[in-house]
Amino acid sequence: MTSEEILKKVKTDQGETIESSEVNLGDSVIFVGKEAVRGILEYLKADPGLDFDYLSHISGADYLNEDREPRFEVVYELHSIDKNHSIRIRVGLDEEDPTIPTVSDLWKGALYPERELFDMFGFNVEGHPNLSRLIMPEEWEGNPLRKDYPLTLEDVTFSHNREFKQDLVKSKPPTR
Amino acid sequence: MTVTDQGLLEREKDSMTLNMGPQHPSTHGVFRVVLEMDGELVESAEPHIGFLHTGIEKTSEAKRYVHVIPMTDRLDYLSPPGNNLAFCLTVEKLLQTDVPERANYLRVIMCELARMASHLVWLATHALDIGAMTVFLYCWREREMILDLNEEISGVRMMTSYIRLGGVAQDSTPGWLQSVRKFIEYFPAKIDEYERLLTNNPIWLDRTQNVGVMSREEAINWSMSGPVLRASGVNWDLRKQRPYSGYEGFDFEVPTGKNGDIYDRYLVRVAELRQSREIVKQALKKLPSGPYKVDDNKISLPNRKTLKSSMEALIHHFKLVSEGVSVPKGETYVPVEGPRGEVGFYIISDGSNVPSRVKLRAPSFMAIPGMCKMMEGCFIADVVGIIGSIDIVMGEVDR
Repeated sequence: MTSEEILKKVKTDQGETIESSEVNLGDSVIFVGKEAVRGILEYLKADPGLDFDYLSHISGADYLNEDREPRFEVVYELHSIDKNHSIRIRVGLDEEDPTIPTVSDLWKGALYPERELFDMFGFNVEGHPNLSRLIMPEEWEGNPLRKDYPLTLEDVTFSHNREFKQDLVKSKPPTR
Repeated sequence: MTVTDQGLLEREKDSMTLNMGPQHPSTHGVFRVVLEMDGELVESAEPHIGFLHTGIEKTSEAKRYVHVIPMTDRLDYLSPPGNNLAFCLTVEKLLQTDVPERANYLRVIMCELARMASHLVWLATHALDIGAMTVFLYCWREREMILDLNEEISGVRMMTSYIRLGGVAQDSTPGWLQSVRKFIEYFPAKIDEYERLLTNNPIWLDRTQNVGVMSREEAINWSMSGPVLRASGVNWDLRKQRPYSGYEGFDFEVPTGKNGDIYDRYLVRVAELRQSREIVKQALKKLPSGPYKVDDNKISLPNRKTLKSSMEALIHHFKLVSEGVSVPKGETYVPVEGPRGEVGFYIISDGSNVPSRVKLRAPSFMAIPGMCKMMEGCFIADVVGIIGSIDIVMGEVDR
């Protein structure tokens, strides 16, 4: 199915639960609230016409530097192996309660990306069987891929430029 | 452990915990797995990753687009052109620019050479893990030739950074094309040589057949990709399903397996070596003449010769070197078929010259939970075989 056809079908079946949809540079994209995401993903996997059986990746995003609400976003990219089409699902998460239901029971491939979301962004993935740090050490504080996490936290050991050193430590978010 | 009344030691559980890695030679880098053993059988396997965490995704958020390309080389360090291509295609999609045909052909040649080099490293180390020393040395010999070709065209043996925004770094020379032609004429006899050593070797068959089996449904559900997915009987190759860089113009087959065991993964990869050689052969034959990068000086550097005569070229050069490419606001994802499977960058641009978010979809990272699932119930000796058959690269697992 082409991107337009996918969106048309999703809108007819789940019109009231999705927030909006668009064809972005040829890819079909739907925007969903976090309450509805679990239902939508179940539908996308189970519907025989769409048949999204392959989870490509789950990605987090932090839009702190941009003027928009909500701050965070989780992006799911799904493929259908037999039908050979794809869809992207974007879910907004607010700063106070970045909680999202797990999909690791639908696609086992989601186990690691969801742990990565917890590790790198500090999102609470509800229902995940083993939600713990994945790449950073267990005792690490902070979530490195958030925009307010500075690029370097360590003191510069050898520098004659004291101002530069101070600037690095204070910079929040990192200067470009 | 407690002591009973009779003074005997009483164990709390009947299994033994065995640590493997991260300094284990057959874990292909710094992968650590904690095995729960019941005698010789693996009850459960728990992976631990993060020993090679380089923070490339975070660092990319402070680098200009052009500066991210050399970092992508270090992700899947066995096939740098594949990562360069995935990154450049995504940025080019955001820029909505098309690259010239010659650049596409050169990209395809480099990617397929890298696929061969990567599969050679896989075959070498995988065979060594299982105990075949000779194959290791043979594969390294042929890989060395590909690295020489890399050096000749890009100046670097491994981290080529050859594929750039809007095209490639520099044009190929007739001499280089002749060297590639010579290599692909020489190569098939060598693949036969590896196959003679392994394909019907009873020890190899014993160690690989019906080990680490993954069914079609499981492979899809666990998000396996590349040769592992195809060995389970799924006909999914992004070069065929979502053709990019002109792959639709090449005539090649997608090898698939039936049983989804280690042996099928071996057969699929060896068949891919031959198919990659076929693609390079066709690309050399059809290589068109013309520019090797886009003529848009907002994306690619102007010709060196014009700098001394054209004011405009000088300004463009200065702006591009000092400021870089500004990418329109938006986000997109382009998957490409790397040697290990689906590689893609999800890039969010805020309209400036620095990406706001660069996320790598790494096939090795996605394959690790599935790999540990395969280990359950197998012998400890097969654990190394299973790790080798997935062909993980820790650079892209930990990023």
